[in-house]
Amino acid sequence: MTLYKTISLTAFLICLIILTYHFIRLIRLGSPKDYSSKRGNLKSAISYSLTGAMNPLKKESAYLHFPTYTAGLLYHSGTFICFALFFLFLFNIGFANSIQWILIFVLIASGLSGLGIFIKRITVKKLRHLSNPDDYISNLLVTGFQIFTLVMLVKETFSPYYFIFVSLLFLYLPLGKLKHSIYFFAARYHLGFFYGWRGIWPLKSHGQIK
Amino acid sequence: MKNFEDKKNKALKVLSGQKDSKLVTYLNSCVHCGLCAESCIYYLTTKNEQFIPTRKIELISSIYRRYCTFTGKHFPELTNARQLDEALTDEMVDQLFGACTLCGRCTKHCSIGIDITYLVREGRKMLSEMGLVPATLQSTVNAALQTGNNMSIPTEEFTDTLSWLEEELKDEVNDPNASIPLNVPNVNILYTLNPREPKFFPLSISAMVKIFYAAKESWTLSTSMYDVTNYAYYTSNNDEAKIIAQRLYDEVLKLNAKRCVLAECGHGSRAFRWEGPNYLQRTYPFEVLTSVELLADYISRGKLKLNKEKNKELITLHDPCNLVREGGIIDQQRYVLKHSASNFIEMTPSGTDNYCCGGGGGQLSMSEYNERRMKIAEIKADQIRKTGASIVVTPCHNCIDQLIQIENKFKLGVQIKTLSEIVADAIVLE
Repeated sequence: MTLYKTISLTAFLICLIILTYHFIRLIRLGSPKDYSSKRGNLKSAISYSLTGAMNPLKKESAYLHFPTYTAGLLYHSGTFICFALFFLFLFNIGFANSIQWILIFVLIASGLSGLGIFIKRITVKKLRHLSNPDDYISNLLVTGFQIFTLVMLVKETFSPYYFIFVSLLFLYLPLGKLKHSIYFFAARYHLGFFYGWRGIWPLKSHGQIK
Repeated sequence: MKNFEDKKNKALKVLSGQKDSKLVTYLNSCVHCGLCAESCIYYLTTKNEQFIPTRKIELISSIYRRYCTFTGKHFPELTNARQLDEALTDEMVDQLFGACTLCGRCTKHCSIGIDITYLVREGRKMLSEMGLVPATLQSTVNAALQTGNNMSIPTEEFTDTLSWLEEELKDEVNDPNASIPLNVPNVNILYTLNPREPKFFPLSISAMVKIFYAAKESWTLSTSMYDVTNYAYYTSNNDEAKIIAQRLYDEVLKLNAKRCVLAECGHGSRAFRWEGPNYLQRTYPFEVLTSVELLADYISRGKLKLNKEKNKELITLHDPCNLVREGGIIDQQRYVLKHSASNFIEMTPSGTDNYCCGGGGGQLSMSEYNERRMKIAEIKADQIRKTGASIVVTPCHNCIDQLIQIENKFKLGVQIKTLSEIVADAIVLE
């Protein structure tokens, strides 16, 4: 394993340890104790929270902002692919040429989406007002991750730069908002728990007279 | 200065003294996407960035980052981790008390799934620990704590109103034995009231009394504890909320009622049905249900004979946030209206997506925010206008109050009624 790969693997392990600490803390703190009489089904509500409630037709944040929502989906999909590719690159695992071209196409789309979200954050007054340096850095790191991965797919000699960049990403990830990679799932769990306890989710109707 | 430091430490304990993973989860989850903006009636009507829900919770999470995270302690500028100082507390009072009705619409539509309302309430709890609850709102809580009801109605005035209503009932149902039972033990139902009812809206009591009469219910009112409201829910002062909830709990046990039925009051229903057991740290040994559920139950079991042709005017329904989006009472009021009114139209949007009337979150008590409250009401006025209805029904007295003010300001030409009034009007006495 090259020095660059060793550095990136170390950075990944540091990131993993810190995220595991966050995860264990959440597990140890546990679910809220609710003394009220439960009306609904928690299991189906939590499952709904992670599935049906995420349906873009059910959320204004999706259907009123469809281009941003689509860009967000692509961006996150690209990020997951990049993480998978990181391990393939790290352990020199190859794949078919046809898959490579599909990945290139997907990463161009996801990288452009990330860039689009970044530009939106800079240019839209309302978003600028909400943003702090971490918001910009996080976006740049993740978008950069996708671009570096893309370059790696076509040019193997780019490897040292790629692994150094990925190391930076892994070291930064637990410090700022990127740790929503852990907290997102916990948030969906808690929301499902809350609405499920009261029998609101899974939503059977939006309230239309029958 | 030392005084502020003491207050600050109390407020910070709200963030650090976590009992479960809910608070720490939500404080770490927001990505500042800003997609919640269009779900908030404050932002929609003013386009003021300060009113974007994520901006409101950022006030709290920035403090959390500053005092409870590595990055915030060592590199505060990186994540905009803020010191809790007097300027920030002023901002918090204005945003968390003065610019949020706790309607929960942003929560439902948050792209991540953050319970924004919960975080705003935690922020209010911090302010409450610092003694910074707006005096106007706190005075409503104080009235309840000192007199047993939030409008400080003396018992004599209350019983006088009820005996007058009892006479009215006897005339209306043509039965000299018809009565409003007071402090009767071992009944099926202890019924509660919003103090606005005996003070300003006695017709809604008349309606419910007639319904109980028609359903031949075994029920009572208590003269010492009838107040369904709990404004300490709005101030997030759990100690005071506990005292108020404890009184109603004790009264149900004292009268040995099987069920406690909560009057048409959104936050009151939530505060006693869902939050109350947690304030008291115990499960209730009796059943608690809202009057909306009771009405639906009466109709489904054939305990009321209704003629919906008695309500021919076009009726629309306003869904109270605490009862519907946050309480799961979604279909029952529609079922009741289906059987008691012949001409109904939904608002758009409705149900769990309905817009708040603007009176929630304690806004009606905080006169300093009146102008803002009536500005955000533009959305509700527009929703009502588009239905073409002549009656707006809502099972919540806070909403009733706000809707009456909306009618006065926007001249919509509508009557505002409770659900029980519609049902009472449709009753056919045998």
